[in-house]
Amino acid sequence: MRRARWFSRRLAVPAAVVIAAVSLGMLVWWPASTPSLAGTVLTASVTKSTNHKPNLNLGKTLFDETCASCHGSSAEGSAVAPSLQGLGAGTIDLWLSSGWMPLAAPGAQPARKPPKYDRAQNIDIAQYVASLSNYQGFPIPKVNLKGANVANGFSVFAEICAACHTITGAGDALSGGIIAPSLHDVSKTQIVEAVRTGPGNMPRFSSGVISNAQLSDLVAYVTRNIQHPTSPGGLGLGGVGPVAEGFVGLFIGVGLCVLAAFWIGDRTPRGPLGVEQHGDGEGGSGGDGGSPGPVGDDGGSDREIQHV
Amino acid sequence: MIDRLFNWMDDRLAISRGGRHLLNKIFPDHWSFMLGEIALYSFIVLLLTGIFLTLYFVPSEATTIYHGSYRPLDGAHVSEAFASTVNLSFAVRGGLLVRQMHHWAANIFVGSIVVHMLRVFFTGAFRRPREVNWIIGANLLILAIFNGFLGYSLPDDLVSGTGIRIAFSILESVPIVGSYLAFFLFGGLYPGNGAIIPRFFIIHVLILPLIILGLLGAHLGLLVRHKHTQFKQPGAREDNVVGTPLWPTFMTKTLGFFFLTTGVTALLGALVQINPIWQYGQYYPWKVSYAVQPDWYMGWLDGALRVMPSWEIHFPGHMIPNAFFPGVLLPGVTFTVIMLWPFLEAKLTGENVREHHLLDRPRDRPVRTATGAAVFAFYFVLFGASSTDVLANYLSITLNTVLWSFRIAAIVVPIVVWPIAYKICKELQGTPNAGKRKVHNIVVRDADGGYRTIPAEEYPGYVGAELEPLDVEKIEVLTAAGKVVEPGVYEIPRDYR
Repeated sequence: MRRARWFSRRLAVPAAVVIAAVSLGMLVWWPASTPSLAGTVLTASVTKSTNHKPNLNLGKTLFDETCASCHGSSAEGSAVAPSLQGLGAGTIDLWLSSGWMPLAAPGAQPARKPPKYDRAQNIDIAQYVASLSNYQGFPIPKVNLKGANVANGFSVFAEICAACHTITGAGDALSGGIIAPSLHDVSKTQIVEAVRTGPGNMPRFSSGVISNAQLSDLVAYVTRNIQHPTSPGGLGLGGVGPVAEGFVGLFIGVGLCVLAAFWIGDRTPRGPLGVEQHGDGEGGSGGDGGSPGPVGDDGGSDREIQHV
Repeated sequence: MIDRLFNWMDDRLAISRGGRHLLNKIFPDHWSFMLGEIALYSFIVLLLTGIFLTLYFVPSEATTIYHGSYRPLDGAHVSEAFASTVNLSFAVRGGLLVRQMHHWAANIFVGSIVVHMLRVFFTGAFRRPREVNWIIGANLLILAIFNGFLGYSLPDDLVSGTGIRIAFSILESVPIVGSYLAFFLFGGLYPGNGAIIPRFFIIHVLILPLIILGLLGAHLGLLVRHKHTQFKQPGAREDNVVGTPLWPTFMTKTLGFFFLTTGVTALLGALVQINPIWQYGQYYPWKVSYAVQPDWYMGWLDGALRVMPSWEIHFPGHMIPNAFFPGVLLPGVTFTVIMLWPFLEAKLTGENVREHHLLDRPRDRPVRTATGAAVFAFYFVLFGASSTDVLANYLSITLNTVLWSFRIAAIVVPIVVWPIAYKICKELQGTPNAGKRKVHNIVVRDADGGYRTIPAEEYPGYVGAELEPLDVEKIEVLTAAGKVVEPGVYEIPRDYR
């Protein structure tokens, strides 16, 4: 009780001051948020060429060194690896630049990791593999985002991509061990290659489904707004939605309030005549029969009375 | 002057006697008795922030073209509800802060009701004569969950729209009357004819808050009528109330607590983002995002939907769909059992012959405590199951493995928790001073090499040894029916009105 009184006298004023200061601070500091304006309207396009002039000899050397042991010396495939012929440079570039290939070990699942080769070497290998077949497949695209419209991109994203990659692009686990990866660290080129070639379990979207203009809008939305979201309001909690919010609300929100109650509230004093003499377990006699008499009559010391 | 004014008023209004009576109410003081206050104060925050939000929110599904400051939505066809929510977040000064405070306060509101309910359950505060108040409290929890869901749905964003779709299906799954109920609430086939948002709005801001307010009044009125329960402690008996008076001790403390609760809400609202609807975009029935979950207080239902095996019951000419079992039957059974529990326990223990005003410590009722812990564990597992996909992604295991783990855990965890909780209770019963602050011992070595221990002195921070009693004469005069236990702490007969 003394603790309680001690706190109650000292609590109200500082608490009020702190809260008032915080609230005022927030109101003043909090501007009417203005998201950055991204995207200006010119022409948007996805053209199919790259600036790097490929070195097919180097590509062949690297391919023989790293890829041929599984995929075969002319990329014809083997018992442990598929044929790469006719896949196109875009597919090869995507799998190399994302670090999926080469695998960490034969038979391992492709996993996102730093690419083994640099940008130019990837292109060399990709162009070399593409040159092994008459069918050229999807080439390495050159993505031009000038004039892309992020609003259109958002619409396409919500309609087509969010169903697996989630609306915040955080990525998630689908059924059967399939992962829709996070889009927070993918490049423009990779997005176009993935949409057009459909790696792994991802569907392939041709230009009949997502036009080139829509695709550049989409790439603009992902690289500008998904990867650098306008995110006022504080800590983003990973963009995984209400589960994370629930944990914060319960353990930080309710938790802090309960701690506050524990701070200013009283504890149960348990003198020698406390609960233990009644607590005989389930169905016990309750507490009225042998209750201690009035305070001071139970032979307690001064200190005991102070505890009441 | 002021005395004369008050006397003038009291001669005409005659409130001083009752008012004095109220101010003299004795409240037993314990930190766990303040948990319900968190709910009360977050409800006040909800009302205040909610009023602010209604000034800017447009409850309409009419299509409009967004031309605000958020570029990725520029030119998008959105509903008035969605556009106004984005605008109040971006274009209204302090709007986002208030909206986030409102949402966090809702999370804290329902959470503190649950925590408060657990306290009442584990200490046996629901027993005669408080069964009715327990039932009122359970209904408040149901209403809070419902209203939270409705409010979460109002912005008409992609994530909450998916939730409404699920709610429609769950409503439809009720045998026989389901489709009629769903059509009645939604005004036709999903997604309704623009009726959902206006209807949800009026239920959310008027109907349910009014019912909650009414029940809250009854809840607190019954609390005053019964007087608060108290823990067993020297001087506390079934027929008295030992504690601090409403004025000034309890009032200052609870006012401070109001500021603390509000402060926590304000801090969360200012520092942690919640429900960034501009990232989700307008809801259309043909657009859906993966990894969509409801707010946590609906999470156990979502988890139940996820872990429920795909069973359906077929009758000739009728079928009970799968969603009925986790979506309707589970919450129905849950809240029925909660409301009936005081009577069930009274029946089982045969203890209904007298009133209970002294609380149990959880350890003293191991069966009740273990049962409560096991049931709570079950719902906590279901809550966890609402994040199967998030867990699978972060732990890099397959979704199916996570799902099956939760199916097994939902059955195994409660079975494991029960005996553990029971055993802990029994062990604590046999440990007289468990939980009591220990006095340090000092180990002393004698000159001839022997060791002995002597208790240390009270450490300097020990408050009981420092504070002098306060002068409380004025109040003592006014508690004629009670007597002073110590300065500032009073005892009154429980039947004193």
